[in-house]
Amino acid sequence: MTALRRVTGDVKHAPAALSTLDVLWVLYDRILRVDPTRPDAPERDRFLLSKGHGPAAYYAVLATKGFFPADWLDDLAGPASRLGHHPDRTLVPGTEISSGSLGHGLGLSVGTALGLRAQGLTSPHVYVLVGDAELDEGSNHEAVAYAGATGLDNLTAIVIDNRSATHGWPGGIASRFAVNGWTTADVDGRDHDAIATGLRQRIPHRPHVVVARVEPKFEGA
Amino acid sequence: MGGDRQGWLLPLRNLTAIVDVNRLGQRGPTELEWDMDAYRRRFEAFDWNAIVIDGHDLCAVDEALRQVRGIDRPTAILARTIKGKGLPQVENEANWHGKALPPDLAEKAVAELGGLRDIRVTSPRPELGTPAGATTAGGQVTLPTYDKGDKVATRKAFGDALLALGARTDVVVLDAEVSNSTHTDEFGKAYPDRFFEMFIAEQQMVAAAVGMQVRGYRPFAATFAAFFTRAHDFIRMAAISQADISLAGSHVGVEIGPDGPSQMGLEDMSMMRSVLGSTVLYPSDAVSCAALVGQMVDRDGVNYIRTTRGSYPVLYDSDESFPIGGSKQVRGSDNDDVALFGAGVTLHNCLAAADMLADAGIRARVIDLYSVKPIDGPAILEAARVTGGRVIVAEDHYAEGGLGEAVMAVCAEEGIRVTHLAVRTLPASGDPNELLKAAGIDALTIAETARSITGR
Repeated sequence: MTALRRVTGDVKHAPAALSTLDVLWVLYDRILRVDPTRPDAPERDRFLLSKGHGPAAYYAVLATKGFFPADWLDDLAGPASRLGHHPDRTLVPGTEISSGSLGHGLGLSVGTALGLRAQGLTSPHVYVLVGDAELDEGSNHEAVAYAGATGLDNLTAIVIDNRSATHGWPGGIASRFAVNGWTTADVDGRDHDAIATGLRQRIPHRPHVVVARVEPKFEGA
Repeated sequence: MGGDRQGWLLPLRNLTAIVDVNRLGQRGPTELEWDMDAYRRRFEAFDWNAIVIDGHDLCAVDEALRQVRGIDRPTAILARTIKGKGLPQVENEANWHGKALPPDLAEKAVAELGGLRDIRVTSPRPELGTPAGATTAGGQVTLPTYDKGDKVATRKAFGDALLALGARTDVVVLDAEVSNSTHTDEFGKAYPDRFFEMFIAEQQMVAAAVGMQVRGYRPFAATFAAFFTRAHDFIRMAAISQADISLAGSHVGVEIGPDGPSQMGLEDMSMMRSVLGSTVLYPSDAVSCAALVGQMVDRDGVNYIRTTRGSYPVLYDSDESFPIGGSKQVRGSDNDDVALFGAGVTLHNCLAAADMLADAGIRARVIDLYSVKPIDGPAILEAARVTGGRVIVAEDHYAEGGLGEAVMAVCAEEGIRVTHLAVRTLPASGDPNELLKAAGIDALTIAETARSITGR
């Protein structure tokens, strides 16, 4: 993607950006009903990037889809740039949450989905992207249990499983969601059709999780 | 790392959790009520062994506790119980949480339970062992030394000092997946059996530190200062339990620059100062940092040290001492015009400001408040007396609850007005010097403030 190549800086989190690029592209290209000319349209789908570290891919996708001019990418994290090392909802058009402290997005997405449901807005769907290492924060498990108990079927979580810094997942990541009543899909995080198919799955009264496997060897790319 | 379990990361087979599943919370039914299977599946999904029993069946309780002995994983005994068991009027009813029975019901309860009797139960006795606290301290600690003027980050000095403390076998270190930023990785490489990677789970990191100090260890837990905030309840309870732990928060203030406000520790001094009996330290250079870490290890209570991301000049000779509760006058005379208080990056900015003021003929006293709590009240009041009450404090922290208010609390007793420079608006992501300037805690702003209050 040419937009990503424009991105300079943020060397530290480059691997994190690369692991999320395919999923983000599929989300914005095929799944999310969002309008760059009206980023705050009430009926829009919500996308929350919990894993706010390494947002270069996120910024590149938002720019390509017209949320802001592509030349913003040339000055990522520069002194006058609106694009910081961690996304700021007050500065980046199309960004739902400020992130950078891990283990927040899933909980915030539960609140977003509950709020939409309470107002009778049945059309918008809430998507949240989390990292596998980030799931070690206990707050995620509170959110997973609550979403399952309340049957939040307007919520889909995507876990990027690049087997990064974590103690591992005996029985798999998906099983921890499944025991709390979530439906699950396990996909190759580089296969765009598989990602799209996984994201489209939905069963009434159950939240859904897509575990996107990304080979750690890609991390050095 | 992935799914391959390393030696130190083996399941805790010496741990058994007993869950009292009585269906009721304080206000009414719980989320899962008596769905014992749901509880079982949750524990099993986390690779625990789980046993469901009737919690009122003493034989079942006994049998379950016997079973766990041979299991190679932690076990959860899920005991289905009835709240208020034994008294029909109260059994399984909401609204009895934390309430005493009225006298007539109490009498009935005693009768239902079999009347007044004197029953003594002899439980298994532990084998004779080594008392907690007897961990042998071992080797000689030689703290690192630095050359004056060299630029060294205090977070690096913290890592160096911790590595030196590793000579003592009672020192353990816990990390929340940022050891290469906090510099605890050096300790981890040298003493892998006393280094505990807790991954991205700060609450568990602090809780584990509290658990380990019970065995006589002197734990240090380190992460970014900003992320200790999510473990505040564990820190608060550590003080209530009178636990002895040391915490180290790095990457403080707007000084971290490009990583932006989500990574900036701007509330940590406020949080840590408010903990009962706590110690809060904020060194400005590598020498004082190492000296303070050397004292933290044997200090009781909750100890906190705040370290800076960037590298700044070493200010002191390596043989200088830094008693907790003290301060250092880095610049000054007997007839100073204004007093500048700082710590961390702002101390360096105060020194640069003092140079600018000297050019304008204004004499500034500069004081390093490396001990934020307890704070050196006498030195602050003496500086205020000498300068006729012209006092400025600058801190890379929000205005509430930090170094500034610690100084103001001392000065308020003597009716001295303090000019307080601190971070008062949401910082951006950018160059550290630009952000310090935007917050008004840079050298130029400090100097201009001094000129305005001295009227020169």
